[in-house]
Amino acid sequence: MVVEDEVSADRFGLGWRPRLAAGILANLDRIDIVEVIADDYFRAPRHERRALQTLAAQTPVTLHGVSLGLASAMPVETRRLEDIARLCEEVKPEFWSEHLAFVRGGGIEIGHLAAPPRTEATIEGALVNLARAKQIVGVAPQVENVATLIDPPGSDRDEAAWLSAIIRNSESKLLLDLHNLHANATNFNFNPCEFVARIPVERISTVHLAGGKWIGGNGAQRLLDDHLHDVPDPVYELLEEVAARAPQPLTVILERDGNFPSIESLLTQLDRARQAVTRGRARTLEEAA
Amino acid sequence: MNPFDLPGPEFLLFFIGLSSLSIVALVVTRKIAERSAAPKLDLSDPYLIAYLRGSEPETLRVAAVSLIDRGLLVATGTQLKAAEKASPEAVRHPIEKELLRKFKRAGEASSIFDDSRLKATCKPYEETLKNVGLLPNKEIVRARWTRLYIACGVFGGAAFLKIMIALERGRTNVWFLIILTVIALIVAAKISFPRLTESGKAMLADLQNLYAGLKDRAPFLRPGGATIEPMMLAAVFGVAALQGSDFAFTHTLFPRAKEADKWSTWSSVSTGCGSSCGSSSSCGSSCGGGCGGGCGGCGG
Repeated sequence: MVVEDEVSADRFGLGWRPRLAAGILANLDRIDIVEVIADDYFRAPRHERRALQTLAAQTPVTLHGVSLGLASAMPVETRRLEDIARLCEEVKPEFWSEHLAFVRGGGIEIGHLAAPPRTEATIEGALVNLARAKQIVGVAPQVENVATLIDPPGSDRDEAAWLSAIIRNSESKLLLDLHNLHANATNFNFNPCEFVARIPVERISTVHLAGGKWIGGNGAQRLLDDHLHDVPDPVYELLEEVAARAPQPLTVILERDGNFPSIESLLTQLDRARQAVTRGRARTLEEAA
Repeated sequence: MNPFDLPGPEFLLFFIGLSSLSIVALVVTRKIAERSAAPKLDLSDPYLIAYLRGSEPETLRVAAVSLIDRGLLVATGTQLKAAEKASPEAVRHPIEKELLRKFKRAGEASSIFDDSRLKATCKPYEETLKNVGLLPNKEIVRARWTRLYIACGVFGGAAFLKIMIALERGRTNVWFLIILTVIALIVAAKISFPRLTESGKAMLADLQNLYAGLKDRAPFLRPGGATIEPMMLAAVFGVAALQGSDFAFTHTLFPRAKEADKWSTWSSVSTGCGSSCGSSSSCGSSCGGGCGGGCGGCGG
């Protein structure tokens, strides 16, 4: 069963990647929590799953799913939920999380975390899927906003309204990916701080940080969330904003999937995240005073 | 059917079966009794991991290689000597201090394995690992002896009884049974006292699994103490796992380590885990378009 602790302080961690193993395990005094991609272990041999349990004995672990496709009118397959339930049972993560995305349709895997049309139908589909996820896994997942390069066609509301409706009508907490938010705000020209003001900030439990790059040209440039670059300054500013608005403890995870810098560089980015949260908290105190 | 009435050759077959079963039971009960959840360890200390893998010799090998890598010890052939600038006070770790003291004057690298003062600096690791049950502590050793006594009592008792019956009936051809009993006793004693507990073996295998990605990158690790990665690689897989010309000195200094570690390399676990996104170049460069479903969350 998943153990969702009552967290009493802000925590800062890294996404577990085998390439970063030595750096992470050697710096657990500076890393409060590790996020593991759950899907990597669904079909893994027993010894690899046991190694994950050993990792969880060294540091708090969360499991992050990438393939459920929660934000869809299609029900999530039971076997996928059973996979995550079994892994949660074995690893006993602090919590588990998934994306509010669709990843398949008509039996075809699209191989991408795609933003669904923002409609009542996808809200209802996501709520049904989240209820089933809670029923099978035992605990509702935290749900993450995704980045998108196109404004989902067929949408009848904006992302903040769509996301808020799902969070307010489910038991799930929000995993707010600030680089996804930054990328979407940049690509679709909206103010990310206003976005944060409109969503239920009291339900934010976890924050993802990452980096990206510009793609395209000739007036059609887009900011791509690729997890291959350092966290840009605007994302730290957004983190400060979230910390100022959300009084509850936050778990901040830095995601890096490739083009790996030294562990020291990643730890420096985590330190910057700590400073941003501290600044945000200080702002709240100043405003209250 | 009373097995003790069986004629000699048939009783020997019965005895082989009984002693084999006793030995299997001995192994199985030990494995079950010594299995527990992984404890929390200080995984930032490569010497602790090296001690788990191979006791004092491995810890000292890794420490010596670490000092050489950082330029504090100088390797010339099979000899070691502290560098001019190196002072025992400049390092924090007791093992490293003692190594620098020892090699104030040049000496054979292999002499570290017989140095009692160096071995003493490793003692805290032994205590730590015993406390968490990865090495057999007093209770575990006592339990191992108890199980050994019981197993030996079963097949040794059967042999003793049969010998008494045979002698009572005036037969003296019991030597083969005595030899078999001694062999079974030796095998039982041998398998009862492995260096690591079952939890210790599992912990080591798990660490090798978690560090599998590091082993894949062995040829590209930067020497010179720039990162802790080479020492963690040496700690988890042995100094023989260090590759490249910068670490070629390890083969000259510790040729036996190379052979020993080949075996541990063979038995180490596979590397098939991890984020498909991070390890895939096609994914890494085009996450938005091609890897959402199975990747570490690009776009997510």
